Amino acid sequence: MAETRLCAQCGASNGVNVKFCSSCGHKQIETFNSQTAHNWKLLKQTALFYCIYILICALSSFVDYFKTIGWFLIIEIIIAGTAVIFFAYNWANCKKLLRWPSFSFPKLAAYGAFAMTSALLIHYIANWVNVIVFSRDYYYYSIFADSPGSAYLIIFFTAITPALFEELGFRGYLLQSLLNIADTGQAVFISAFLFAIIHLSFISLFWLIPFALFLGYTRVKENTIWYGVFFHFCFNLTACLFELL
Amino acid sequence: MENQIPVAVQLTEKCAHCNADSKAEDTFCTQCGYPLKGTEAEQNKFISERQVEEIDMFTYNKTLRQASNTLYYLAGVFIFAGLIYFFIHKDEVDVVSVVITNIIMAAIFLVLGAYSKRKPLACLISGLSLYVIVQVLNAIIEPISIAQGIIIKIVIIGYMIKGIKSAMEIEKIRKENNIA
Repeated sequence: MAETRLCAQCGASNGVNVKFCSSCGHKQIETFNSQTAHNWKLLKQTALFYCIYILICALSSFVDYFKTIGWFLIIEIIIAGTAVIFFAYNWANCKKLLRWPSFSFPKLAAYGAFAMTSALLIHYIANWVNVIVFSRDYYYYSIFADSPGSAYLIIFFTAITPALFEELGFRGYLLQSLLNIADTGQAVFISAFLFAIIHLSFISLFWLIPFALFLGYTRVKENTIWYGVFFHFCFNLTACLFELL
Repeated sequence: MENQIPVAVQLTEKCAHCNADSKAEDTFCTQCGYPLKGTEAEQNKFISERQVEEIDMFTYNKTLRQASNTLYYLAGVFIFAGLIYFFIHKDEVDVVSVVITNIIMAAIFLVLGAYSKRKPLACLISGLSLYVIVQVLNAIIEPISIAQGIIIKIVIIGYMIKGIKSAMEIEKIRKENNIA
């Protein structure tokens, strides 16, 4: 017997996939009425999140005043804090993403290997095109050049923090709110496009969009952000080691 | 007993309004809410209510078209600006990078405009975000640029926000009324 639901207006029982009661015509999916207003609110909140990112990224990359080690740490903390605050504010909606229901070592290794291969490939293509793809990383290196243990700091700030907080912010919070608003394909595309353009580098768009689409697709398919975090970590680590060695 | 129709061979009819299958005992279509067994007046009332929604749909679609046209317009603006820059700064070294940047921007807006009929929400949100980023970067590099053509900028952003809202409304009406 298929699942049924009682009509709120006349009490007749209907199948769960019924949109209007078969005996009184009452709308069965109540959320329809307030859905647009609610979605609009969600979208505005997402826009606020993204505007904060735009401002911080634009200021930190184009204003020389902020290119000191002190400001660099403050900016990293603001970026990480924004992601955590928005994620926590939507805790009820987002907490399931922190679980890891389909954990498996072979899968993890496969994602890691794929990340490293693609980082290698992009590195060589970029060298071939002869443009500085990892311009943001160069800036990191110059800032830490004379501090002790600079190699560890660079690895920490290029591989670990972006992997964790970008995934939490973009594949966690942003994609989850967009999934409420648009269908899966459009939501993944929007999150990937927004992620790619926030890096403020034209040439990088060509690999950032496929990279972010893959991460978004992985996040939807696996229902967890952790594979994405690991993929992102391996990718950035490979790119970073290339510059260090 | 003999009068009872077994479940398996129960008659199914098509709803006159949305063409979904309906069971013989249904008073209302379960997919669109059409009064299958209602009087002619009830059925006409239902249809006229839906026609009002169709008029709304027409308005939303119009707003959506305006937003799509805004994307095309932006593509044109970037091409135009690139050309003007090229002819003014022809002899400078970095002219190529500026022109290429403009061409890439124009291409992105063109693609977003072309796909905005099929995936309106994705294209409009992406286009608006890209436009806002470009304006913020311009403002940081040259603060006075934010005031240049401010009315046009507000109109462009307004059209796109209205477009996004309409895209959401259209999506909602489609889901609600079982229009494919």
